[in-house]
Amino acid sequence: MGLAAATRPGGLRLSAEEHRRLRRKARLRRELTGWAFLAPMFACFVIFLVLPVMGTVWWSLRSGGLGGETKFVGLKNFIDLPDTVGAAAAITNTLVFALISVPSILIGALAIALLLARIERGGSIYRFLIYFPVLVPGVVAALIWLFMTNVDFGLFNQAVKALGGKPIIWLGADHALTVLAILDVWRNVGYWALFFVAAIIGLPKELYQAAELDGASAWSRLRYLTLPLLRRIIFFAVVVATIWGLQVFDTALVLTSGGPGTATTTVIYRVWLYMFGATNKIGTASAISLVLIIAILLLTLVQMRLLRGRGGGD
Amino acid sequence: MAEAIGLNAEQHARLRLRRRRWKEFGRHVVLGLVAFILVAPFYYVLLASLKDSTEIFSYPPKLLPIPPYFGNYRDLLWDTGFLRWMFNTLFVATSVTVLKVFLDSMAGYALAKIDFTGKRIVFLLMLILLMVPIGALIVPLWSLVSSFGLINTYLALILPPLANPLGAILMRQFILGLPRDLENAARLDGLSEFAIYWRIVLPLIKPGLVVLAVIIFTDQFMSFTWPLIATTSDELQVLTVGIAALRAHGGANYGLWSASAVMSLVPIGIFFFVLQRQFLARSLAGALKQ
Repeated sequence: MGLAAATRPGGLRLSAEEHRRLRRKARLRRELTGWAFLAPMFACFVIFLVLPVMGTVWWSLRSGGLGGETKFVGLKNFIDLPDTVGAAAAITNTLVFALISVPSILIGALAIALLLARIERGGSIYRFLIYFPVLVPGVVAALIWLFMTNVDFGLFNQAVKALGGKPIIWLGADHALTVLAILDVWRNVGYWALFFVAAIIGLPKELYQAAELDGASAWSRLRYLTLPLLRRIIFFAVVVATIWGLQVFDTALVLTSGGPGTATTTVIYRVWLYMFGATNKIGTASAISLVLIIAILLLTLVQMRLLRGRGGGD
Repeated sequence: MAEAIGLNAEQHARLRLRRRRWKEFGRHVVLGLVAFILVAPFYYVLLASLKDSTEIFSYPPKLLPIPPYFGNYRDLLWDTGFLRWMFNTLFVATSVTVLKVFLDSMAGYALAKIDFTGKRIVFLLMLILLMVPIGALIVPLWSLVSSFGLINTYLALILPPLANPLGAILMRQFILGLPRDLENAARLDGLSEFAIYWRIVLPLIKPGLVVLAVIIFTDQFMSFTWPLIATTSDELQVLTVGIAALRAHGGANYGLWSASAVMSLVPIGIFFFVLQRQFLARSLAGALKQ
């Protein structure tokens, strides 16, 4: 940058003033290029993510419907939330769903990963097969599970019949939420299994050789070496899988239409109903969305702390 | 015992080898069972799609579809908007992917290599909002997009997904890993900042770009909540929305449903087969491995 000035006739040495000016100019240039590179993506980020988050707060303090007039009502939507038809049930359903699916996914994934990491050949075939359900859109997955859970010809009841049992109404009020959670396990176990495989392969080999020389059994190697070493990774997976679990919507819509009754109506499902259903409660929809957003932000903060602690800063 | 002591090294090794083989065999049995359970639903649906409506309900079920019945596929392709949905999904997903890889890599370059005011705050904001899903924002997003007059346009489907900060964060990580000497040399050669990004950095992070493209494309292929809300016209329905409508309207048509499930998995299945490594890396990138 200084080259132009230095080669100017008679300008081999720069005065202090010129020097400062040039440095200012270079700095300005750097600022402008930095923002120019960032701007296109950042503009989208602000318009379609930051603004809507703020918009949720704004809408949550108002009453009315999407089409018509709305007015400011303060915290009324939040105070009424526990009594609003369906809102409390939606939150409970979502939490129960996450409580069933997340531990099942992660325990299953960890078990698969422990086997997959130690296998000597054929690993890529298993990885392909185990990962495939991950790529199925929720809508399609739910459609497939209609064929699993159908009372008359579903695969589950075929198996029950073959074992001599009575057909089970899988999508009835008793089982629907559990079936929805198991569907989620089917879709996500492969994702986390491969995540854990990578983590396990990255563990220091020497520790295991030492443990083997000491005659540690496979179980104690798992209990005292692998699990403690993976503690942070597992915790991270719990946080992220929970965040994902709280967003369940498409599978509930297609598999059970939120029913029977409100048995599988989840938070986002309820927001959607409030928005476009006959109820038209835009404020309540936003209030319940905000509860979800805050829960996710809190979990994100936990996750950021975890990553920071894992050495190497942000 | 005396014999045990008498074992020579070779016998010992053979014994250990045999034990190792048995363990390996056990692992294959368990993993094979797991894989079978995970894949069985696909086979069951494929089977159903090749049966006519009476056969689907018959008991005991036929485990091989002989002779196969293709009526469900014919109905799906000619009597529903399936081909249109598929086109919309591929068009939107491709547009988002191309745009986003470009925007995210530029943003990542700025965050990794250029010092400017506000960088730390921008990055922190991106990290904090990283996990906030579009599904939780549908109320304000809908009113925003409709105030732009974009409801029922392709732009409504393409623009909001560009906001996701995951790509920029990943690209920053990738670009931070490049040696500084390269760009310094380029700078001394008088290359502009954009030329450094375009001609030096991008080629170097190509593997990262492919992984990012796979992440974006699959997410877009699977996305449902926003497309459901952003469109009401049949012409603009994407695959997931169209299939949900197929389920919601027109009564239980299991043959059609199964055929649509199978057909919708064809493109992503082909992609997965071709780009296996990048897909599997998705599992790691999603977790922002540092």
